[in-house]
Amino acid sequence: MAKRLEGRAAVVTGAGRGIGRAIAELLAAEGAAVVVNDLGAEVDGRGASRRVADEVVEAIRARGGRAVANADSVADFAAAERIVETAVKEFGAIDILVNNAGILRDRMIFNMSEEEWDAVIAVHLKGTFNCTRHATRRMREQRRGRIISISSTSGVYGNSGQANYGAAKDGIAGLTRVAARDVGRYGITVNAVCPGAMTRMTATAPNAASRRARASAASRSATSAPRT
Amino acid sequence: MADMLAGRVAVVTGAGRGIGRGVALGLAAEGAKVVVNDYGVALDGSAPSSGPAFDVVEEIRRAGGEAVPNTDSVATWDGAARLIGTALERWGRLDALVTCAGILRDRMVFNMSEEEWDAVIAVHLKGTFNCVRHACTHMRERRYGRIVTFSSGAGLFGNPGQANYGAAKSAIGGLTKVAARDLGKYGITVNAICPVAGTRMTVNEEVRRARELRRQQGIQREDRGVAQIEELDPDDVAPMVVYLASEHAGGVNGQFFLCFGSQVALVSQPRPVKTLYKADGDWTLDELERLAPATVLEGLVNPAPPKEA
Repeated sequence: MAKRLEGRAAVVTGAGRGIGRAIAELLAAEGAAVVVNDLGAEVDGRGASRRVADEVVEAIRARGGRAVANADSVADFAAAERIVETAVKEFGAIDILVNNAGILRDRMIFNMSEEEWDAVIAVHLKGTFNCTRHATRRMREQRRGRIISISSTSGVYGNSGQANYGAAKDGIAGLTRVAARDVGRYGITVNAVCPGAMTRMTATAPNAASRRARASAASRSATSAPRT
Repeated sequence: MADMLAGRVAVVTGAGRGIGRGVALGLAAEGAKVVVNDYGVALDGSAPSSGPAFDVVEEIRRAGGEAVPNTDSVATWDGAARLIGTALERWGRLDALVTCAGILRDRMVFNMSEEEWDAVIAVHLKGTFNCVRHACTHMRERRYGRIVTFSSGAGLFGNPGQANYGAAKSAIGGLTKVAARDLGKYGITVNAICPVAGTRMTVNEEVRRARELRRQQGIQREDRGVAQIEELDPDDVAPMVVYLASEHAGGVNGQFFLCFGSQVALVSQPRPVKTLYKADGDWTLDELERLAPATVLEGLVNPAPPKEA
């Protein structure tokens, strides 16, 4: 059977681990050429290692797929342009953008520092804007594109201790709704996914165990509103 | 003067004009002492001036109320600290915070500059966080507080040309929901207003030109036209804000209210509406291709369908 994404070029941010890595690998398995972006930072955003993105690229290539690594930070407007342009330079286009990169700095709001707020907003919200902004310029010329941004039930329902993350993720939802209306006419779709998954990011949260139960309950329960 | 807020102290940001001014006057009319904050800038955030804040303070005082001006920018951590400190230094307490301050820099997302994004996020989102953060530490100690933030349908429903504003307003919604859960146990409520009103932010020549351009290009906004917005008095938003800022609204927390004209509507919050289940393992693409279109995706409408080039 023909692969669904043969000839398409994709960028996945934060693709070195967790959900992003799984997305990058499945895109590649379906024939897409993938820019595996990952700064290689710790969960709180500190540090950087190119190895993280390289490993995923090696894994994709080992299965016969096409991929290149990129270790730029999505939080930087100019660097985000480099991420998008890597797809254009290496694969000739950018058909798919998955905005997945993110960090966590949980704290009750009355104790949250300015730095904890700024760091999370910068990577999630500004990072998603940066990549979306640069990708839509290319996609608009191409008259085709798919953008999928990762929002979160934390923003949708409001998780205690995550004012920065919840705001960023609801901000991404708002950005998604506006961008869908800005670029739909050019053949570009913009949608968001709110995942429930255990990754190294959620594992570090203070109430990881209860969140694991909640995510599991949310994925199993049909129409009942998940508890907040 | 009524006394629903007698003895209470409030801070209102962006209170020099428009909705914020109406809120400040409304709180003062109910007996609250009000810090009238306004950076006094032009609509795009430039050229600060102390005029608007002082004018509203004068208006409150002439009506027999108590108020002091503050002209700090909420967008800076220290500016917000000074603003909250103004209430504490002058009156020794802070009972209510209303965060109206905001600016606009509309642009289609593919043309939006970094500076246009940053400026709008800084005032709306960071400004709201800065004020809530500094206010809530004091409110938590006193085990009482009322916080009213300003979100918008532009973010919750999506307006073309407002990626920065829509993201900021939606993010304020997320901040509001989390803050409500962080602070509720300390007797503090945090709710959001989604207003529609004719102010210099929503009705001006630039907005008219942009709307006309969109109309010519066939890009529809889902909100009302300028003509209808012009008829919506910003002062109409104040009563619900004053109510939420009072003791009476202690049981209302983490909620969103759409306010325009004589209407106050409770806004629903996103919940799953349709779910696909699989008993074992992850969905395969074959399965999703077969099942999703007639189930979770059934009846969805593209808000901006593709147009021929």
